Amino acid sequence: MREPIDPHAGDKPRRSYGLQTPGTKGVAGTKRYAMVIDLRKCIGCMSCVIACKAEYGVPMGVWRTWVKVADKGKYPNTRRVFMPRLCNHCDYPVCVRNCPTQATFKHEDGFVLQRYNRCIGCRTCIVACPYNARHLIPMKRKDMRLPTMVADKCTFCFHRVKKGLVPACVQACVGGARIFGDMNDPESEVAKLAARETLTVLKPELGTSPSVSYIGGDWEVMSETHSYTNRSAQLRREFNTFKRNHKGDAFGDIVEGEPTMRQVAQNMVGFVRTIPHKAKDVLKAFGIFIFG
Amino acid sequence: MESVVTQNVFHHVAWGTTISVYFWLVGASAGSFVISSFGWVFGIKRYKPLALTASAMAIILLLLVPILLIWDLGKPVRFIYLLLPGYWHATGPMSWGSVLIMTYPMAMIVYSWFVIRNDQKWARIVGIVSIVLALSTHWYTGVVMELNPGRFLNHTALAPLLFLTGAFISGIGALIVVLWIRDMFVRPEKRIQWSLIQEMAQYMMYGIVFDAFLLFLEFMQAVYGSENLVMAHEEVLMGVFRFSYLWLETVIGLVIPFAILVSPLKKFKAAVILASLLVAVGVYGMRIWWVMGGQYLQTFY
Repeated sequence: MREPIDPHAGDKPRRSYGLQTPGTKGVAGTKRYAMVIDLRKCIGCMSCVIACKAEYGVPMGVWRTWVKVADKGKYPNTRRVFMPRLCNHCDYPVCVRNCPTQATFKHEDGFVLQRYNRCIGCRTCIVACPYNARHLIPMKRKDMRLPTMVADKCTFCFHRVKKGLVPACVQACVGGARIFGDMNDPESEVAKLAARETLTVLKPELGTSPSVSYIGGDWEVMSETHSYTNRSAQLRREFNTFKRNHKGDAFGDIVEGEPTMRQVAQNMVGFVRTIPHKAKDVLKAFGIFIFG
Repeated sequence: MESVVTQNVFHHVAWGTTISVYFWLVGASAGSFVISSFGWVFGIKRYKPLALTASAMAIILLLLVPILLIWDLGKPVRFIYLLLPGYWHATGPMSWGSVLIMTYPMAMIVYSWFVIRNDQKWARIVGIVSIVLALSTHWYTGVVMELNPGRFLNHTALAPLLFLTGAFISGIGALIVVLWIRDMFVRPEKRIQWSLIQEMAQYMMYGIVFDAFLLFLEFMQAVYGSENLVMAHEEVLMGVFRFSYLWLETVIGLVIPFAILVSPLKKFKAAVILASLLVAVGVYGMRIWWVMGGQYLQTFY
């Protein structure tokens, strides 16, 4: 009888890069914190978004978690679909692999975490993330003692989980749609749900092995191109207005229907205008270096 | 069933105009340096008179890069982390790039020094190292965006080759324009021979053909590809970035210069200089859609 190629296939982590601890999915003796979002229970109240904003003082214009809303069907047969989104805490995160300064890493319990003091704000991780889960903290925020101009993301509320609490969004979810726990513990609610229900993840083809899975996910709303092609006219206008007035700190946004090259030139002007602001940081750092 | 997204959040394009300008600068620098090395590294003696101008242009273009890149960082002071052993991350493509961007200009400066001293042996040795670094630096700009599986428009193995070909033609294009300007200010006997410029224009024409071929391969992959790729081509490249993709890169940067360089117009200096200028500008069109267009669709996800 032919021997299996790898007798431990399935138990063994697939691969690991740099600062990634090996994937812990289904590996005995390890933890793999995961979130299951039961979309049948989500009512689109946005409590999770607000709870997250409040927990971390997330500045305006950026989000650690958000909810996409889509309307399906034609009147009178219509349905509103919600799609909460957050960092997928992948087992094989591209952001960790691509970070040039070891600012982001994979914790052995499944969290993908960010070290602000190491982050240089190069935004490699933001480009690398297939789920748009990362953002650059704006130059100005309400509490200026907190980090600015570095990459940030959902931490699965690491500080709360270590104290035995659930993440803020899970705590705030009125419908109990967000369920959090250790997927490797067969007694946990998430593991039981995973055994009982059909779970789907976002972009499974990328091989990132996400820790956030959905019950009752709508394939269209989960698709990337759908978000672009099926935007309502109002959302299209809103995005364009947002881009026109708030170019972010990377100056790459192009407003639809307006001359590209003019915007490219405007973006370059915008970039030059940020230099004096950043120069203050540079002078401050040199001041500390020279005068202690 | 009809399905309309009524509410979502918007994500900014993370690498913007600055990065696209940087990609163009590195490309033009590498392309220019390739020409500089013809005389001293590859032994084509008639190219020796322009070696210094070409390497000076390559150095100047590359010296602009740190200004753009460092000020583009969220924390400019921390750029040094990219080079500190305790921070350097071997699996991050940007880590490789930071080493290349540091070493490439240094190698070019040393090469130029030996060229000035007319030291054939050392100019050749350092030139070989520099040419490898020049190609690697521009290879890296393709790779840094390619190694993001989520950015499907950029995630192609052709990326580094597209960048290198673009570098070659934009470097020659920019160099011809610079040599033309230089010739206005130097004595007649020091001017670059017209036949040499014509020869460089010929190389540029071959590069244009190869670049167009690569672009055609990308086009085929996009229109016969997955839903994401088809959509990206229709909505982003032929939609929002139509000007930079279709007009600036393809028509202005490839078709018109090619038409000039294969027609009798190539005998006229003004026409060759115009073609060179158009190529150099056209390649920037590719940098725009490649950097910003590649991330565009996902900002709505």
